[in-house]
Amino acid sequence: MLIEVRLYATLRQSAPATATSGVFPVQMPDGSTIGELVSAIQIDPAEIKLYMVNGASVEMDHVLHEGDRVGMFPPVGGG
Amino acid sequence: MGRHETLQMLETGKMPERYLRNLGTIGISGQLRLLNAKVAVVGAGGLGGGIIELLTRQGVGYLRIIDGDVFAAHNLNRQLLSTERNLGMNKAIAATHRVADVNSDVSAEAVPKMLETENAAELLAGMDVVVDALDNFSSRLILSKTTQELGIPLVHGAIAGFTGQVTTLLPGDQWLEKNCSTGADKGIETGLGNPATTPALTAAIQTQEVIKLLTGVGELLHRKLLYFDTEVNVFEILTIG
Repeated sequence: MLIEVRLYATLRQSAPATATSGVFPVQMPDGSTIGELVSAIQIDPAEIKLYMVNGASVEMDHVLHEGDRVGMFPPVGGG
Repeated sequence: MGRHETLQMLETGKMPERYLRNLGTIGISGQLRLLNAKVAVVGAGGLGGGIIELLTRQGVGYLRIIDGDVFAAHNLNRQLLSTERNLGMNKAIAATHRVADVNSDVSAEAVPKMLETENAAELLAGMDVVVDALDNFSSRLILSKTTQELGIPLVHGAIAGFTGQVTTLLPGDQWLEKNCSTGADKGIETGLGNPATTPALTAAIQTQEVIKLLTGVGELLHRKLLYFDTEVNVFEILTIG
């Protein structure tokens, strides 16, 4: 299944060179979780604070579906 | 015209000249609610400086400003309350000077201390809204716990580099507990720093949430996180639990 990954802020450094604004497609086996997607795109989960699927917050064990838009956000804490 | 006269005028259905440009959005009843409201701003740095300036101009009647830190030269790029002349001054005290210069209807109290578990309930009790303008996760956890115990809405904001986020937490919302409780005490701002525009944008959105909470006008960012990244012109509203 095809998943659209959206990386934000510092995580964009991990996007492929072909990505625009940190957005790129990833082919994953059916039934994959967010955790498996993070492994596939080779990002350290410790760098990610929030996962969103189609605009809603989810956990790492969330099961993905064809066409899902998956956002990954690093921790933001300044004031 | 002093605060007493301002309130009298509003109570008789007239908008004082200094608030005329607020009329079309919040009306006289909204202005009256603001002037009778009490708001605590926790942190008077990048976010807090902008929030205090805007709440003061909009006409929120009482501000309790909590910050134990003093201004340093590295604050000058973004912290509106810092000037070349007040380096070394406590940030909360500097804020009260600014409030007095801008709007005599507003009473501002400086608390030149850091928010801690021991003083949080005492400092926040009696407030209508509390604003998170802090810069670390552990203090935010104290803030969230205390506002929930006191039953006070909390407007969260945080920044790093080109990125900012805002959400409004009502009593019972555990989002900060979930998102501040693991790992380091700071986020990616340790590497990216904080340029001038990001706290200004975030502070404006936080202030608008306070105004909406106090006046009842508009829709809150409740269970929604506004996240922006101006490096790539992204503004997203995300649904959070």
